[in-house]
Formats: sequence, C-alpha cells, structure tokens
Amino acid sequence: MAGKFSRRALLRGTVLGSGALVLGAPVVSAQGQEKVIRCGVVTSLSGDNRFGGNLTRRGYDLWAEEINKLGGIEIAGQRYPVKMFYGDAQSRPASGADAAVRLIIQDKVDVLFGPYTSGVTLAVQPISAKYQVPMISGSAESPNVWLSKPAFNFGMIPAVDLTSDKSIKVLAENLGSKAKSVAVVGVDEPFSKETAEGFRHGVQEAGLELKRFELFPANADLTPIISKLKDDNPDIVAVGGHESVFINFVNAAVSLDYRPKALIMHYGVTSAAFINQLGEKANGALGVSVWTAGLPYRDDLFGTASDYSELSFARWGTHPDYTEAGCSASGLVLQDAARRLGKAPPWDQKTRVELTKAIEETDIETFYGPVAFAKEGDHFHNNIKPVPVVVQIKDGKVVPVAPSSAAEGELQYPMPGAS
Amino acid sequence: MASNPGQVRGNLFRLAAIAVGLLALGVVPAFIDPYSLRIVTGALMWAGLACAWNIVGGYAGYISFGHSAFFGIGAYTTAILMQAGIGMPFLATLLPSVVIAMIVAAIIGGPTMRLRGAYFAIATWAFAEMLMQLATILDITGGTGGLSLPAYLNEFFFYYTMLAAAAASFLGVWYLIEYTRFGFRLKALRDHEPAAEAMGIRTNLVKVQAFALSAAITALFGSVFAYWTTYIDPMSVMGPEITDQMVVMVLLGGLGTIWGPALGAVVLWITNRYIWSTFGDTVVYLPVLGLIIAMVVLFLPNGLISLIVGRRRGRELISRILRKF
Amino acid sequence: MDLFLQTIMNGVLIGGILICLTIGFQLTFGVLHVIDFAVGGWAMLGGYAAYWLVALAGIDPFISIFLVFVLFALIGRAVGPLIYHVRTSRYARPDLMALAFTFGLFLLMRGGALWLWSYNSRNVESVFSGEFLTVGPVTIPVLRLSAFLMALLISLGVFLLLYRTRFGMAVRAVAQNRDHAGLMGVDVKRVSAYVYGLYTGITASAGVLIATIYSVNPSVGVRYTLFAFFVAVLAGLGSVGGVLIAGLALGLMESVVSTYVGTRYSLLVVFGVLFLVLLIAPKGVLGRGI
Repeated sequence: MAGKFSRRALLRGTVLGSGALVLGAPVVSAQGQEKVIRCGVVTSLSGDNRFGGNLTRRGYDLWAEEINKLGGIEIAGQRYPVKMFYGDAQSRPASGADAAVRLIIQDKVDVLFGPYTSGVTLAVQPISAKYQVPMISGSAESPNVWLSKPAFNFGMIPAVDLTSDKSIKVLAENLGSKAKSVAVVGVDEPFSKETAEGFRHGVQEAGLELKRFELFPANADLTPIISKLKDDNPDIVAVGGHESVFINFVNAAVSLDYRPKALIMHYGVTSAAFINQLGEKANGALGVSVWTAGLPYRDDLFGTASDYSELSFARWGTHPDYTEAGCSASGLVLQDAARRLGKAPPWDQKTRVELTKAIEETDIETFYGPVAFAKEGDHFHNNIKPVPVVVQIKDGKVVPVAPSSAAEGELQYPMPGAS
Repeated sequence: MASNPGQVRGNLFRLAAIAVGLLALGVVPAFIDPYSLRIVTGALMWAGLACAWNIVGGYAGYISFGHSAFFGIGAYTTAILMQAGIGMPFLATLLPSVVIAMIVAAIIGGPTMRLRGAYFAIATWAFAEMLMQLATILDITGGTGGLSLPAYLNEFFFYYTMLAAAAASFLGVWYLIEYTRFGFRLKALRDHEPAAEAMGIRTNLVKVQAFALSAAITALFGSVFAYWTTYIDPMSVMGPEITDQMVVMVLLGGLGTIWGPALGAVVLWITNRYIWSTFGDTVVYLPVLGLIIAMVVLFLPNGLISLIVGRRRGRELISRILRKF
Repeated sequence: MDLFLQTIMNGVLIGGILICLTIGFQLTFGVLHVIDFAVGGWAMLGGYAAYWLVALAGIDPFISIFLVFVLFALIGRAVGPLIYHVRTSRYARPDLMALAFTFGLFLLMRGGALWLWSYNSRNVESVFSGEFLTVGPVTIPVLRLSAFLMALLISLGVFLLLYRTRFGMAVRAVAQNRDHAGLMGVDVKRVSAYVYGLYTGITASAGVLIATIYSVNPSVGVRYTLFAFFVAVLAGLGSVGGVLIAGLALGLMESVVSTYVGTRYSLLVVFGVLFLVLLIAPKGVLGRGI
C-alpha cells in the first residue's frame, strides 16, 4: 500500500516535471536575424466569436498580402516584408492572454493586431504593456477598453457609445417634432449593451421621451419584448445587437403584425446578410455606419473605399464589413508609423517603445477614413475621427440619409409598412 | 497509522517521494520560457480543481455539475474586492473568497445532498446556471461586461501560487482522507452509508463538510485565476465549460483516487494546449472531449490511474466508492 | 389587458412545443432509467437537419419533420443499445455512468455541430413564416400556431402508441417494473432500444419546430436540455401525463416573467424555480415521479 502510493507520487512528479520540460524545449528557429516585420494576430478563430474573429483575420491578412506584393513596408527607402503569426483566443479572455504571450515569447512578434471582442482585448492589454509590444485593433468597440488608458493599445473603430449616441441625436434632429418617444432594447452582452446604452444616452440628451429601456439575453424569444413594444407604440425603436438579432427582430415583429414607425439598429444593418435574408422586410430599417464602400475616402495602398471592397470580394468572395475594413486599415497605421520611425527591423524592445510613440502621433487618411488617436480622456488611444452616418435601406441598398452633409437620399419616416 | 517498521519505512518513502516531486516542480521555472510556464501553471490549476471535484464526486460519491459556481464565487470575490473602490491586496482576498464559498456550500449542501445521484446532478447544474445568470444581471459583478483586475504580470508569482495551492490541496486532501477521523468517516460513508449511520456517523454532516471543503478549494483556484487573467466575465468563470473539464479530468484520471485527478488534468490540459498551439484552432477539442468521456465510460471506467495501479485494485477502489449510492 | 392576453397566448403556444420536447425524455427515463443529458442535443440536431433540408432540397420543415423523425429514430435505435448496456452493466454506479455517457454524447454533439457548421445561427424558413392571425386583441403568428398543433399531434401519437398498442403496453410494463416485465416475456433490451429511438425521433422533431420559430446554432442545446429537465422534474421524472401540465406551466411562466418582470430575468427565474422544486418536491408537483 505504502509502496504503491509513493510510486504514484513519484510518477506524478515526474510526469508533470518532464511534461513541462518537453514543452519548454526552446523553439529554435531562425528568429531575430531576419529583416522582416513580425506581426502577431490575436483573435477568436474558434468558439462563440469565431465568425467575427475570422473577419478580423481576413482584414489583417488582406493588408499583409497587399503590402507584401509591393515588397513590404517601406522604411528609409528599403522594403521589409511582413510576416504574420496567429494565436487563437478561442473566444475566451484567458486563452487570448495565453495566445498573446505565446506570440510574443515564442514567435517574437514586434506588433500585435488585436482581437474581435473587447473581453479578449482587455485580457491582452496588460500583456501588451508588460512586454511593450504595441497592439492595434480593428475591432473591439467597448468604451471600457479605453478607460484604463492603455499605453500600448490603439483602436481603429470609435467606441460604440460614441456612434450610437451621435446617431440618435442626428436622427432626432432630422425628424424634428415628428419623433417624440423612443424605446431602446438590446442584447445583454457587452457590445450590444453598450450600443443600447449609447442610444439611451443620445435619447436623454436629445430631450426625447424614453418609453422603455430593456435588455434581453442572447437567443431569447423575442415575442414578449415585441408584444411590449407594440403595446408601447414609440415613434422610434432602437435595437442594440449584432445582425442575427436584427434579422430575428424584424421577422418576429412581422409575425406579430408590428412594424415600428422607425427602426434604428447599428452596424449590422449594412451587412449583406441582413439585406439578403430579409428581402423586402429590410426596407426602411435605419442603421449606423462609420464605414461603407460608398464613402469618399482613399489611400495609396488600397485606393478608394469601393476599390477596397472589390479587392476584398475578389480575395474572399464576400464584400467586407466595417470590421474587416478597420483591420486592414490597422496595417496602414503600422506602415505609416514604421516609416516615420525610420528604423529597420529587427526591432528590440526599446525600438518598439519608440514605435508605439510614433503610432500615437498617427494622423493619416485611409480608405477607411481619417485616423488619429485621442491622447487623453475617456477614449484614450481610440480613433475618434470617423463620423457616424445614419443609413437607411432603400430597395435593398444602403443609402446614407443623415446628417445632411453626408446624405445621398431622403430619410423615409414612417418606414414602409408601419402599423 | 504507522505502527511497525515496515509502515514507518513506507511512510518515509512516501514523504521522500513527495518531497522530490515538489522539488522537481519547484525548479521548473528555471528551465522553461514564460509561455510554457503559463501552460504548466494552467495544468496545476486544473489538477487542483480536479482534486476538489473528486472530494464530492469520487469520495462522497455525488456527481456535481455545479462546481463552476464556486469557481466563479472565488473569482468574483477577489475581483470585486480588488476593484478601485475597495482596493484590497490580493492575498487578503483569498480568505473572504474561501469563506463565502464554504458558507454557500453549507447552505445549499444540506438540502441538496438529500437528493439521489441524478437529481443532485441536475440540482447542482441548475444552481450553477442560476448564479451565472445573477452574475450577468447584477451591477456589482459588472454584468456581461465583466470586471478587470489590477494587472500584476509576474509569471513566477502565479506559478508558485498555483503550485502552493495545488500542493496544499492534494496533500491536504490526502492527509484528511488517510489520517483523520473525518477521512475515516468519509470513507465509511462511501463504502456503505446505512452501515455508517448505524455506527453512529452523522452522514449528513460529513457530506456537507465534504461539499464545503470541495467548494473552498474550488473558490481558491477561482481567486488566483481571476488575478492571473486580469479580466473575468460570467462566461469565463462561471460557465459550464469549467465544470465540463473538471468532470472529464477526474473521470479520465480515475474517480475516487488521490492522484487520478492530477493525472487526468495534466493529460487533458497538455493535450488541449498542444492541439491549440499546433493547429491554431481547437473547435475539435469539444467533440473530442465528449468522445473521451464516452470511451472512458465504456472501456475505462476506472480511469487512467487504473492502468498504473493495476486494474484489479483500481476496480476495487471504484466499486467501493460508488456502491454508496 | 391586451398585453396580458397576448402574453398568455405566447406562453401557451410555446408550452405546446415544450411538451413535445419532453415527452420522449420522460419515456426514456421511465424505461431506461437514464437521465439523458443529450436531450437538447437531439433537438438541436433535428433543427439543423430541418435547416439543411430546406437549404439543400427546399423542403418545408412542416413536411420534412416526418423525414427528420424517421432519420433520428433510426439513429436512436442504433445508439439505444449502447446506453442500455452502460446502464445495466455490472460495474460501479451504472446510472451515474450512464449520465456521464450521455453528457459525453452531448459534448460530442455540441462540439461536432460547432466544428462542422460554425457558430452562426441558421434560420429555418417555412411557408408559414411571417404570417399571422388576429383574434380580437391577440395576434397569433401562424408559424407558432402550426408548431403548437404539430406538437400536440405528435404527443397525441405518443399517447395512442402507449395506450392502444401492444408495443405500448410492453413499454409501460418495462417502465413499471423491468424485471417482472422480463419475466412476462417482454424483450426488455429490444424495447429499450426502440424506446430510445422513439425518443430521439420525437425530440428531433420538436427541434425542427423550435428551429422554425427561433433559429438554430450549436449552443441552443443547453437551453433545451434545461427546459426539458425543468418540465420533466416539475411533472415528476418518468411521468408522461404530467408533462402536459408542466410544459404549459413552463411556457406560461417564461412568457409572464419575460413580459412583466423583464426578459433578462427569465432564465434566472427558470433555473431558480427548478432548483427549488428539486429541493422541495423532487418527485414533481403532482408527486408522480419515479
């Protein structure tokens, strides 16, 4: 009995110890000597957020491919190719942190391209700060990400609270006295909740009546909430969520014989899936966008927004959404900062810090729009330049309708088929 | 207990083996890079969690599908206490976290453990999901937005903390089971409950004590995990995934054995991380996990440890444990 | 008042489907004495089957539901003996091993679905989608009404099977007392396998109905398992009749809580009530549990 137990204890110790050593066998490869720029992509390639995560990866990859076609990033007259490494966050913050550490320690990346979700971003931030590796994110829209003033993290997309807030005000202005009451609903998950809260804030600042503010769990039955909205009968219904929720919402509302006078959602409205799956029912829905393929932005690598859209379509078979676009634009930020830095790779820790400072000073025009990072306040290191535009689906097309400076069409209110 | 030269020698040998094992683990950080250190730290955590689950699942004989609740209680207690407003230092949060978990376990353990096997499983599952919903709704937990903890990124610190916690858990459980009256009562309970009652053992009390102990250890690891990851949300610390892994690890390693859970935890965790870093994408892990459980139940119900200890002994051990139902 | 009536209607319609979801589960428990953790998984897979039949062959789910039933009944008939074997084997704690086995099965299903079909929700279009009837102040989505009726039809079918056929008699006999039934000449092993097949067929069919109303994605199985457990426990595990009441009860409870308390709290309430019922009345509200 005693012998067996001690044998097991020894066994356990040896198993753990040797397992650890086997893993630790240093990954020897020709690193640090090559003149390439090593970029690590941390995103959710599996798990719940697999879909969004893969969009971000496509965005980053498209940029890498395009820049490498030219030979790489240009620094002081020479071109240095970009090499991409990937770490799957598995839609979990802890795995994201592991992935970041692995990319930094084992793959020795110089810069990180950030995750799809804010949760993973938050977990990776301290790691990015500890090893002083700058991270540029094309996604992650929660305002929480910037509250801690992360020195090494930069975000391309303005936080949702900014965009949803502004869009309600723009809408209210456009509709004038026709719209007095608003009901705000949203999915109880970070992005959607923050969007909904942004809407609510906008409603309060615009002086409108908030008839209802309610969150519901993802995958919930929408019948109760639509029954309530039908009962409330507000002038505007604002929904915070991803596109699948919007699609369900519109379908459920139709089956309960309810069409609000105005229905504003968020980015998802501009996605191809929304229009395709709903067909006619999508017409009249309002959305918010900081980027669509029709906007008049351009840069030297991708051309115009529309050029980028076609490029992405040719490469991946689908038109890009704003997430993909933001991620590709992240690469442009790196390009510009590296060029201004003027130091050739391989980069050491000290150089990375200088690179980070260079990124902070970014002020460029891209196909995605203008990019400049705030250096103080609640949206520290967030790109606050893009102007959200309210769009409306008309005959299956996304048409900007407000503010008047960006409008290409007239805002239709009430929307077609309103009860 | 030691009462003859043979047994004294056996005990010494046992202790020596443990000391060697601990020493080996203690010097590991000197040989491997920070990333691999993270992996080993993770393995230690899961070994500890498996050990905790085994107390209730293997020893008391109640399959709990709700242990993630205690992991979450530990994680959230530490996270909340370390928030800017309260700002407690990490080590000070460990005691409240463990105590709260024990209190919750004691409160629900009493009535819940009166239920038979499968009912208990469902009840614990319902309880865990209920707590996760609460965490999603309340503001103090940050709702679905989660909580961020002050970042302290010293991999060595976390490695040694996890090692200390895991070692304390295993050695503590081993000592309790083999050398104390509590352990004696627990084993009597597991072997044959009516007989134990007839002998005057208050089986309800023992069951609740075991449940509370298990909860306490689980919460401890939850706390360390929260500080280690620096960001938690309901899904990541209270989700069913945590319970799933704990159950599989113990089943795989060997239900109701001292070291089986450690073996199962290490094997599964290393496999998981290996698949992840090699193939970049571990969607395949979940169905594989399911397949492993099915295979273990069909072909290796006594767990991997039985392959080492010997099938006969392992089977003996397991049937005695599980017959208590 | 209008809202209240609508809420009641919503609850009843969903309740019908929940009945269909749980009826097979009760049979399995009664005959095999196994709590099948994978019940939600079968429903989820049924939903996916309906999706693919629509997407690839354009078959309306209200027609393909019969195909799905047959397909899954066959699969279940094949898997059944495994479960029976685990449940009746000589080792250790068979019912817990069976629980663990079905748990593993569930993980396999969920993970497999995630791996093959990814996380996105799939909508299952039907000819009834979007249509509605108006009865006074209440709007009734035709889709839900049809699903409700179909669910009742299936449940009726089960009852007829159980109480009007010899096979049904054999099933009831085994549920009452396995050993005695065996002594009376019932091939318990075969009956168990068929019952499992019946169960998977019914549950997958319920999954089809649910998928037309909500969408389907790999993680919905967990919720369906929860709902099935809830209805089963409330009715009393193994009680097929009690499911009629318990199913409606859950549908109404969810609807009322979502509407009047808040949708965020509905899951919390459901889990909470389940937990309390288990503590206070594990044999079900009517006390007919096994």
